[in-house]
Amino acid sequence: MKIKNTEKWLIFTFLSVFTLATIYPVLNVIGISLRTDNAFQSKSLAFVEFDEPFEDTNGNKTRDENEKFTDENNNQKWDEGSSLKSFETLFTETSFLLWAWNSFLITLVVTLTGVVLASTCGYALSRFNFKGKQFGMVSLMTTQMFPATMLLLPFFIILSKLGLINSYLGLIIIYSSTALPFCIWQMKGYYDTIPQALEESARLDGCSRFSAFYKIILPLSAPALVITALFSFMASWSEYVVAAVVLQDPELYTLPLGLKSFQASLATQWGLYAAGALVVSVPVTVLFVALAKYLVSGLTLGSVKG
Amino acid sequence: MKKIAILILLIFAEAQAEQVKINLWHQMLYSNRVVLREVCDAYEKQNPNVKIQLTYRETEELRSNFQSSAMGGSGPELIYGPSDQVGPFASMEIIKPLDEFFDAEFFKQFDPNAVVKLNGKTWMVGDMVGNHLMLIYNKELLPNPPQNTDELIEFGKNQTKDTDGDGKIDNYGLVWNFTEPFFYVPWLGGFGSWFFTETNQPNLNTPQNIEGFKFIKSLRDEHKIVPKECDYEVANALFKSGKAAMIINGDWSWGDYTDAKIDFGIARIPLVSQTSLYPNPLVGTKGYSINSNVSDKKIKPTLDLLRHLTSKEVQLKFTEKVNLMPSNLEARKDSLVLKNEILRQSAFVMEVGKPMPVVPEIRAVWDALRTQYQAVLGGNRTPEEGAKLSQANAEKQIREMNEILKPNEQATVIKWLFPVLFLLALVFGKRHFTEFLRDLKKNSFAYFMAFPAFFGIFAVIVYPFFYNLLISVSNFSLRTFQGWEVIGFQNYLTVFQEDVFYTVLWKTVLWTAVNLLFHVSLGVFLAVLINRTLPAKKILRTLLIIPWAVPQYITALTWRGMFNQEYGAINLALSKFFAMTPVQWLSQPFEAFSACVVTNIWLGFPFMMVIALGGLQSIPQELYEAARVDGATKWQQFWKITLPMLKPVMIPAITLGTIWTFNNINVVWLVSNAGEPSDQTHILVSYVYKAAFNLYRYGYAAALSMVIFLILLVFGVFFLRKTKATDSVY
Repeated sequence: MKIKNTEKWLIFTFLSVFTLATIYPVLNVIGISLRTDNAFQSKSLAFVEFDEPFEDTNGNKTRDENEKFTDENNNQKWDEGSSLKSFETLFTETSFLLWAWNSFLITLVVTLTGVVLASTCGYALSRFNFKGKQFGMVSLMTTQMFPATMLLLPFFIILSKLGLINSYLGLIIIYSSTALPFCIWQMKGYYDTIPQALEESARLDGCSRFSAFYKIILPLSAPALVITALFSFMASWSEYVVAAVVLQDPELYTLPLGLKSFQASLATQWGLYAAGALVVSVPVTVLFVALAKYLVSGLTLGSVKG
Repeated sequence: MKKIAILILLIFAEAQAEQVKINLWHQMLYSNRVVLREVCDAYEKQNPNVKIQLTYRETEELRSNFQSSAMGGSGPELIYGPSDQVGPFASMEIIKPLDEFFDAEFFKQFDPNAVVKLNGKTWMVGDMVGNHLMLIYNKELLPNPPQNTDELIEFGKNQTKDTDGDGKIDNYGLVWNFTEPFFYVPWLGGFGSWFFTETNQPNLNTPQNIEGFKFIKSLRDEHKIVPKECDYEVANALFKSGKAAMIINGDWSWGDYTDAKIDFGIARIPLVSQTSLYPNPLVGTKGYSINSNVSDKKIKPTLDLLRHLTSKEVQLKFTEKVNLMPSNLEARKDSLVLKNEILRQSAFVMEVGKPMPVVPEIRAVWDALRTQYQAVLGGNRTPEEGAKLSQANAEKQIREMNEILKPNEQATVIKWLFPVLFLLALVFGKRHFTEFLRDLKKNSFAYFMAFPAFFGIFAVIVYPFFYNLLISVSNFSLRTFQGWEVIGFQNYLTVFQEDVFYTVLWKTVLWTAVNLLFHVSLGVFLAVLINRTLPAKKILRTLLIIPWAVPQYITALTWRGMFNQEYGAINLALSKFFAMTPVQWLSQPFEAFSACVVTNIWLGFPFMMVIALGGLQSIPQELYEAARVDGATKWQQFWKITLPMLKPVMIPAITLGTIWTFNNINVVWLVSNAGEPSDQTHILVSYVYKAAFNLYRYGYAAALSMVIFLILLVFGVFFLRKTKATDSVY
């Protein structure tokens, strides 16, 4: 029992150290957002300044200590030259809230579309043997294979021919389609684990095919649906390249587009940029935390047969 | 009564007809954008029927986005940017020559440098002159600027010091973005030659260029007055925090230094002592051009707006607010300009400037020079070789850029091939099609469910795919932008004939393999560790997912900062814990590539971890219990139970992960700053991007991307087949 406990704590220590090392770059971003001098590199320079005394006092301490020290370092900077000014500017002087609203709208529609289409298509692929199914499955994957940068020019040409430039519709169609292949695969895998007998008995009770799917199978697939929603969300929430081609009216900007407008070649508003990026990642992180329970079961239970 | 009604109707119609929206795309700095908006607001007030929409894009993106949209037949009426964008735009005929709209009198009011001409026509009117490099010095550290390079080295040495006595240098004499050719070429003038001839040919294989290479190297290695690794952000941060006495930077940086409360002075880049010549900074302009797609209806208000935006009053407003040197000669005489001390100094610097070339070939010269110059600085080439190769490569790239491939007999074959293939598909597909129709009736529900998603996906992917296929057999490039034609398989031939394809392919495979190996092993390893009762398990799990949640475009840049040789966290940690000498992460090819890999591993392992976690939880505990009863060790349990049970979960993730990693352009582009050093860190997709958007070789890029697609297709089919085979074993 004792051995088990030491083992547990060893693993815990290792994981903590690893986690701290992992979030160090993100701490860096936080550091930049709190700096007042609008410089990208300052954080690491500050690191140099405070580095030396630390080495003298704690020369042989583990990495863990070092990371903690970095935290303290942050705190120290807080007292000296740091402020929440970037965040204040972000919300008061820029159109950040408008961008957030636009992003929210688009993401909502994309997520809903993604969930509806992936759940139905995945179901068809899981339950029926129809002509072209194999071809369809493989071609779903092939859509991921083409270098996305080369699709931009044709995207633009076709969207402007359809009059979809500067409209959310074009963007929503593209986002939904890019997230779909993974989601469909994912849903199909999950349905595969649900016994067919469930629908068969429902059908015997007089359910139509669709209502058997809708009333019996779909509720059972909640974890997988959550993952699908999350992936569709991720695909549109922080996408930049396509949005930059499609949206030109600043009123329509999404968050990543707005953020990029703080960045100019050789003169980036680093403070605002970092603050914005952090705020953008908050909803994603919150979603992850809230859905962690489903995430783990939904993402993969599906692929495990039996 | 009737008359009044008609009158009202007329006025109404008139007002309706005259309501014009003018789009203006620009790349102005943050502070300049504010002034531009004010100016436009005032203009809208005076002209209530005009509405101006401003769209900001970063310089490179402005160029590529404008190209795409002009090709699609739309785009903004006005585009504002640096003069060197005129080269490609004029060659592609996507902007209008201005001579047909304005007379000589109009152009005469501007500094000739601001009236941008190419091939005998005027394409842009600048509202400012400048964008030139100069020596900016911190007056607190250095009261007087150095007059020549001897003084520069002397002052530099005095200012380069280790203030806290730890053996590391804290303050530098001179910092600047010295690895970038734009920041290097002024010195060529100082050594007595120029990098570009008047006939628009590169002139890089010169003794002066060799001298220049040696000089920059000596500043870093012999005199040690500049940091070993110093990109723009590092240089800027050092100067702003008072840790550098001098910086070579452009007029755009003044505002930044004022904000940082640095008391700075401006001087010419110091005279080269050997030659008694001043280095020649490039002087450019930024200005307005008119989209060639502007409709006749909109042309008049557009011209009017252009006239207003380049007028004396507006220019003076920019002078007042953001210290721009006006291009308008009248405005130069205004007291706002004459009394502006910074501008006076800047004008003095500009006297030794040389005009920024606008021909599109300049991009090829920059590119070739950058590659060799960085190799020389990294010690991988002698200056002599560097000079020679940069000239040869510049000539080659210019040739490629201007080459118009002629159609050969294959073109005819291809033109026939498409319809023939289509017919063949119809004939052979007929059987499938009838089966499909029969199946449709039987399985109508399945089709009904599957159709919408497939329709969406294919609608989005099909047109672009065939478009690319067509481009890949065409001569679409800078010179044929408006009239490309199908030429045959030459582009594919070029792809396979060039050695660079095989080198980059090898790197891409390595990149993918190493990344996947670490993503999966790290992901599974962490998942196994975390999948037990641990204190704060949920918090750890959430924190480990964070690299996935924060947008890549900021974390990748943060990693680049962390890899800096002297100031980056990584070298600091390495030297502290492992007593390693600092690694030159960003200036040596292998190290830079490793830096990209490390960053991408960090970005990618959470995904695999989450998947593996899910897989672990679905493994029945009874299996482990049975194994324990049989006396299996933990290690055996892991190899015999955990891994095999994880396999079906991991296979689809690995397949997709491979494809995503193979095509992941972001990390390479951001961490290595678009392939630095010397284009040695490219993977196939970033190489494609560069060929298409930096060098305008669309046909070649499309062919290469088809090749990428085929490679992945073969991999995918092979891998899936293989894993399906193993699936059935279980």
